Amino acid sequence: MGKQTIIPFGPQHPVLPEPLHLDLVVEDEKVIEAIPQIGFVHRGLEKLVETRDYQQFVYVAERICGICAFGHSMGYAETVERLMGVEVPERAQYLRVIWHELSRIHSHILWLGLAADAFGYESLFMHCWRLRERVLDIFQKTCGGRVILSVVKVGGVVRDIDVAQLKYILDVLEGLRAEYEQICRAFLKDTSVKNRTVGVGYISTEDALGLSMVGPFARASNVDYDVRSLGIGAYGQLSDFQPIVSSDGDCYARMEVRTREVVQSIEIIKEMILRMPQGPIAVDVKGAPADGAESSMVVEQPRGECYYYARGNGTKYLDRMRMRTPTSQNLAGMTVALAGCDLADVNTIILTIDPCISCTER
Amino acid sequence: MTFQSQFVPLSIEELPALAVRCKDDGWRFVQMLAVAVEDGVNLVYSFMKDGVLVNHEIASVKPEDHVPSITDTFLAAFVFENEAHDLFGVQIDNIAIDFGGHFYAVSQTSPMTVISPAQKEAREKARKLAAAKAAKEAKAAKEGGEAKAQDGEDAELEAKLAAMDPEKAAKVRAAMAAKAAKAEGKEA
Amino acid sequence: MGVMKLAGMTLAGLVKQPETIQYPAEEKPAIPGHKGRVTVDVAQCILCGICQKRCPCGAIAVDKASRSWTIDRFRCVQCGSCVRECPKHCLTMDPARPAVAAKKHLDSFEVPERQKTKASAAKESAQS
Repeated sequence: MGKQTIIPFGPQHPVLPEPLHLDLVVEDEKVIEAIPQIGFVHRGLEKLVETRDYQQFVYVAERICGICAFGHSMGYAETVERLMGVEVPERAQYLRVIWHELSRIHSHILWLGLAADAFGYESLFMHCWRLRERVLDIFQKTCGGRVILSVVKVGGVVRDIDVAQLKYILDVLEGLRAEYEQICRAFLKDTSVKNRTVGVGYISTEDALGLSMVGPFARASNVDYDVRSLGIGAYGQLSDFQPIVSSDGDCYARMEVRTREVVQSIEIIKEMILRMPQGPIAVDVKGAPADGAESSMVVEQPRGECYYYARGNGTKYLDRMRMRTPTSQNLAGMTVALAGCDLADVNTIILTIDPCISCTER
Repeated sequence: MTFQSQFVPLSIEELPALAVRCKDDGWRFVQMLAVAVEDGVNLVYSFMKDGVLVNHEIASVKPEDHVPSITDTFLAAFVFENEAHDLFGVQIDNIAIDFGGHFYAVSQTSPMTVISPAQKEAREKARKLAAAKAAKEAKAAKEGGEAKAQDGEDAELEAKLAAMDPEKAAKVRAAMAAKAAKAEGKEA
Repeated sequence: MGVMKLAGMTLAGLVKQPETIQYPAEEKPAIPGHKGRVTVDVAQCILCGICQKRCPCGAIAVDKASRSWTIDRFRCVQCGSCVRECPKHCLTMDPARPAVAAKKHLDSFEVPERQKTKASAAKESAQS
């Protein structure tokens, strides 16, 4: 029976993209228990709803997180549109899906780079982020911004993508795909990567369901749930959508699920571009939400299912806007995955849940 | 699968039974949130199965009420229950991982229940507007007929003016008066 | 073998054009449509104040009495709401990058009196 020590992990740690504190109860290199603590980037953004009217709050919602920025603005706009009964034109829905899938590609490639950095493979990290620049270039050409896009408003989108730009998107994605396949081979077939990730941080399917996990974190443990299969918005027009699921439940499976999701997103974007309808890109929204009206909406962000709730009170300021982000749901799963692992694997496990603590704390 | 969402009411006593029932039937726990309303805090527990999202809403929880925790059935709820306690002052008993108020170390207790002046002002204005509109409509219903149509228009205009800047509203009123005077001058 | 997976990309990197540029010796050309900084055409401005109301950050201040239009570029988040909402379309987004500075300051513009066109002069005389 060894002595138990408590090692504080974070909030400042080279491997963490965002501040998270864990108290690791360690006995002889094995972690017995991990107690999370968040609250380092709590900015009280949900309270800003009281001083920004529902059109201006889109810009606040975007800035909750840099990686999931577009997802939050789209989810917020969809929730308020549902609250006020606004019908968004079809072309705007297709455009939103294209930007959202591009956002997913950029987020997953960013994550792959961070995961490589977590187990020390820095050159792979640099290559991933170099590829991600191509997607950011697409964003800059079509929206005018690299990370914070500001193209969504309640009622539709603000900018249109013309035919030349759609062709440009397709060309860039094809060029990206060839290099991306090489990087995936480095991730999935490399023995040193496999040594660090196979069998590490295993979560069974029953545990995944019991802990209500979401996103690729859960889909790697054979939980077949993806909000995109519910067909909200233009996702309902997809000819065929199957969530990518793996039954291994360890870090390697989570990595594999995310790499395959990038390829799936490229296919979705191609289909959306092919079938894009003509028409207006926004409707004018006037008036205010009714007093006491409530609405809820779910969106599949790169990290999982994100739930939005809006409540109106008759004025142009919303009464309450709530975003429940996927990482806050996965914190319980992370705590369970960390129990019983080696101290050296803590980095990899935390990175594989794709923590986005800014989203969690708003 | 399509997506549907609904809101159903719930009471504090029914909450533990609901959690157990949802777990047994295979419902997924989505989230738990708190909303500050006039007379307390509303708690919304959401569960989802096969594309149907059901939001169970407990209305007007007072600061003295004790709400049982659902972390014994759904461990993932500990994040939201700690947050509700820190930001809204809701008392929840037996949270599995309880931070005792230090989850988000904020400097003010239950900051989300404090209403900012801009929000308060906007709510008062909206309430006055709604009351004025209702009164006008009641009057019109009594007088009935043609007068009702005119009053309806007037009420809308009044509502619009009341919502604008007082300076701007005065200008609009002056312009309308000038227009009416001109129309009368033409007819005469 | 684990070593040769990235060999293709690494060796190609020796001969390809580098992905980075030597900033500040070279600068990336400004992409049209990029949201850089807000510019105002003061000749068209009617000092209505709509841009001030729609700005989510309170970066714009319109003062009718002193006929000035002021923007705090450090508060501006380049959302583009003011550009879209201006009724006279006198605001544009210039794709150049905002300049850096050592101290925060406000940019103030003087709005000249609107030139009386023939049409408005005729309207005024008909009214009096």
